[in-house]
Amino acid sequence: MAESKPAQKIWIRSNDDKTFEIDRDVGERSVLIKNLLEDVGDSDLSEENAIPIQNVNETVLRKVIEWCEHHRNDPPASQDEESDARKKTTEIEEWDQKFMQVDQEMLFEIILAANYLDIKALLDVGCKTVANMIKGKSPEEIRKTFNITNDFSPEEEEQIRRENEWAEDR
Amino acid sequence: MYRSKSTAARGGNRSSGILNALHATSIVDPRANLPAALLNVEILVAILDYLPVADQIRFARASWRFQEMVYDDTRWVARLKAMGCWNELEARQRFEDMARKRKEAALRAKAGAPGEAKTNGTRQASSTLFDVAEEEEESKKRAASGLQDGFQTMTIGTTSAPVRNASDDPSKYLDVFKNVKSIRGGARQEYGKIYGALAPFYYDLITAQTHADPIVFEAFRDPESQAQMLANLKRFAKSDWAEASLDRDEKIQHMMSIFESAVLREFEQGYEFWDVDGRMRRYANVLHILDGSRSGIELFIHKHPIFEDKTLMVSPVNCMSRENPDEISLEPSQQFLDLILAKLNDQTPILERIFPQPSIAFWALADKIRDDIIMEYTTPLFDEAHERSIAAYLKAVSGVFEQTLQFFQSLQLPNDSELDLKEKAKELALSVFEPHLDLYLQEELDFFTKQAESEVDAWDKKLSEQDSSLESFYMANFNRSADKKDFLSSFKKVVMMPVTVLPNFANNSSSSKPTAVTANGSSVGTPQPSRPQTPGFGGLDGKTGLPEDAPKDELAAKAALMATKLEGIKSLFSIEVALNLVHSAKTSLGRAAVFIQLGGQVGEEAREQCANIFVVLLRILGQGHVKGGFQRAVESLSHYNPREASSHEKQGVAPLVMFIELVNVGDLISQMVDVFYEQQLAAPKIADKNDFLDPAGLAKKKFEQMLDENVAAGLNKGIDALMDEVEYLQATMQLPTDYNPGYDASESSTGILGSGAPNPFASAAAPAPQAAPGSFNIGPTPTAQRIVELVSSHTKMLTGTTEKSMLDVFNAEVGLRLFTAICKHLKRQRISIDGAVPLIADMTIYFEYVRSLRNPDILPYFRALRELSQIYLIDPSHAKDMATVIADGDRFSGVFRAEEVYEYAQRRADWYQVRRSVERAMYGLECSVM
Repeated sequence: MAESKPAQKIWIRSNDDKTFEIDRDVGERSVLIKNLLEDVGDSDLSEENAIPIQNVNETVLRKVIEWCEHHRNDPPASQDEESDARKKTTEIEEWDQKFMQVDQEMLFEIILAANYLDIKALLDVGCKTVANMIKGKSPEEIRKTFNITNDFSPEEEEQIRRENEWAEDR
Repeated sequence: MYRSKSTAARGGNRSSGILNALHATSIVDPRANLPAALLNVEILVAILDYLPVADQIRFARASWRFQEMVYDDTRWVARLKAMGCWNELEARQRFEDMARKRKEAALRAKAGAPGEAKTNGTRQASSTLFDVAEEEEESKKRAASGLQDGFQTMTIGTTSAPVRNASDDPSKYLDVFKNVKSIRGGARQEYGKIYGALAPFYYDLITAQTHADPIVFEAFRDPESQAQMLANLKRFAKSDWAEASLDRDEKIQHMMSIFESAVLREFEQGYEFWDVDGRMRRYANVLHILDGSRSGIELFIHKHPIFEDKTLMVSPVNCMSRENPDEISLEPSQQFLDLILAKLNDQTPILERIFPQPSIAFWALADKIRDDIIMEYTTPLFDEAHERSIAAYLKAVSGVFEQTLQFFQSLQLPNDSELDLKEKAKELALSVFEPHLDLYLQEELDFFTKQAESEVDAWDKKLSEQDSSLESFYMANFNRSADKKDFLSSFKKVVMMPVTVLPNFANNSSSSKPTAVTANGSSVGTPQPSRPQTPGFGGLDGKTGLPEDAPKDELAAKAALMATKLEGIKSLFSIEVALNLVHSAKTSLGRAAVFIQLGGQVGEEAREQCANIFVVLLRILGQGHVKGGFQRAVESLSHYNPREASSHEKQGVAPLVMFIELVNVGDLISQMVDVFYEQQLAAPKIADKNDFLDPAGLAKKKFEQMLDENVAAGLNKGIDALMDEVEYLQATMQLPTDYNPGYDASESSTGILGSGAPNPFASAAAPAPQAAPGSFNIGPTPTAQRIVELVSSHTKMLTGTTEKSMLDVFNAEVGLRLFTAICKHLKRQRISIDGAVPLIADMTIYFEYVRSLRNPDILPYFRALRELSQIYLIDPSHAKDMATVIADGDRFSGVFRAEEVYEYAQRRADWYQVRRSVERAMYGLECSVM
């Protein structure tokens, strides 16, 4: 291709037909895209033949790409520390916190996209953000936050409260 | 399945089909108000993982779906596992029991009230799998109160009134981990119990500013409970992996270390007052509860007086001998180790009194003593010894190793120790000696190689100096087998002896000694006919027996005796040298072999080195010593010429006798090596007899092969020499009158063809004045007697020295060559009828001799010879019969053909008289046959 420069480009297309040109290493933050690129020969990459990202729309994809570009140089997460990873839950870094300051719908869209594209770090950040939204809230507040209908009967609610009394307060 | 069940359960509760259906769709349909991300199970789980427990539970109360997620058993099992209180085996057991009970219950329910059972069943299915049997009983109660889950509420005061009144039942908090059960489906409840008990303290501790603040220290006053609680909290912290858990963990650690140092201070004070049963014991216990009393043990050992003990500051140089750098005395080191042993064993009861797990403290102390005292002692000792002399070094390493092993094995263990002392002792001894071992093994091999080579070299040198005096006296005909047996038995006794590295180790094993000796005696008593037959040994277990000087001296004496007897072959190789070599090999081997018991890689290395020592021994002994001797002997044999020999008076061919002596000695050495191999290598499993690739076994085979080859080569030459001698004797000793008494020397020159043959009466009547008086003796001629004596003395010498098969071959060869020589000799003689009598006698003694060889292959030749000699006895008048005899092939069992017999018949003194009639009879016979 005429445009092929040292920083290799790839093209991805959102489900509403918007094509993005991104650097290959940015794209490879997504395990899904990375695996795809491994299967496809380099010559098949072109603007016309963009990689379709089925489940993600333009706005969300833009957001995801923004995150990937910011984190393009992160060291790859080691796989074998699955069990230790739990212990290593750390605070969300500042940039990510700001990044996640979006409306709830967007937040969940990002999480879903991260899940679909298999971007573990982004997924983690999203989940942590949601977890932080839940933390310290009463059940009623949680329902309100996420717009969940209470499908317990009052008796059931009382019973669950009672059986989990041990976890009440601190 | 999962979903429909839950909805069904709720449906059961609400009995509203439409609503139920609506709910079902609302959960499945992503366009519903619930955020799509919260529908994805994976994502939901990921979010949950970031929530603290309390938030999870609140989250569960938000909706059914969340409750299902949060209540998922695996989440809680993971937490229990993190705290190390989940037992999968127990859980499975419980689960199976439960399944069985449920089956029974279901059967019962079917028989009973189906309706009730149905509601129960669905409800239980909606909750997690739980102990159904118990639930069954309580189900009615719970149904009444609207309880749906089998969880027993814990009566714990909530935070508003925190657990300050813990004194009412402290065990609830202290033993909380002990009461945890592993129940499938019940993990959340079990975790709840722990959480309920510990979380208040936990979060309180986290927020505490100073170490005085936490309620833990208020609620529990005595240090034991405080320690227990702290340990519990630490364990509990492991199940906390919500955000910032690392900080919390750190906080706990910090608090614990503050507590620990406080306890240690108390312990230390107790230590200073040596308040063993009071404060030390108490605080050691507290420390044990806290974290396995590691820090307490460290402190105890660190401050232990044994490390400042002046009596243990012994200089290892005491072991060195001032006069002789090669000598080393192991007594000081033994005293040193005994001293430590006594002191260490004194500590055992004290440790038992102080520590709840004395064995840990004990081994820690033993390790420390090993590192700081023993190794401080041994390392300079070995270094010093190594500098002084290798011999001393080798002795020191091996000896001190044995002492050290003994030391560790005689440790008095605290009563709770489960370790195998022997294994542990090996491990400890190994760690002491590991840094020295490689060097030692290498030095041991080098030392032995050097020593052995110098021994052989020295001997070679000595030999070349006195090479000119090769003429030496040969001791023939002494009782070889008896002497050899005697010698070997002494040798065996010595080989059985343990290496005397520890002359002062006069313990336990002196009783095994006499048995070993008697076992030896009996095994030696049986004759050992030929080498390949391995002598049987008894009494191998006398290994650790006391060294006893007697057999050694006995051996030395025997060796000296043997050496004088074998004076003759001194110039070739020396049994003394061989003995010395074997001896030093044995010492080296004995020293190195003590390391084999360490096992593992080190033991294997030691074993290999032992095998190497043996290989080197055989190489030096075989290639360096024995082979050279044989070669020299063979050379001198091949140069033997009877005509040049100075004297024929003695019985035998000098170089051959010498060679046969050599074979004897070689055999002796070989047997020695065999004994050595059996005792020192095969018996202690250094070499595997069944492994044909074993280097020691290979070396031994090679050595034996070398010996056999040399013996064979020598014997070949030996036969030549022997036959030369036989022919020489025949040529020089046999008088013409021996077989032809009437023969006149002057006549013979002219009258062989002429009518020289006097009539038999004349020759018989005039018994020839010059003829030997024995001519009319009916008996063998002196020549034949000499020859038989000569040959038999040599063949006898070989008996029992070399392999039977080789001996047979040798004898057969000797027999055949003798036969040829006799035939050749016979053809040169002229035999009269009178002479036939001594001839027959001669042939008979040859025959008798050959029969004594017990070799059926050569017997027919001599039988034929004996038959043949009879043709000379036939009276000339019976010429016809003579012809029959000549033609009778069967008579000679195929050894002689008729033409050959005819040729012999020509040697008759009266051949020309009888020739005609014989020929006529023969050819006539032939004609008639034709």
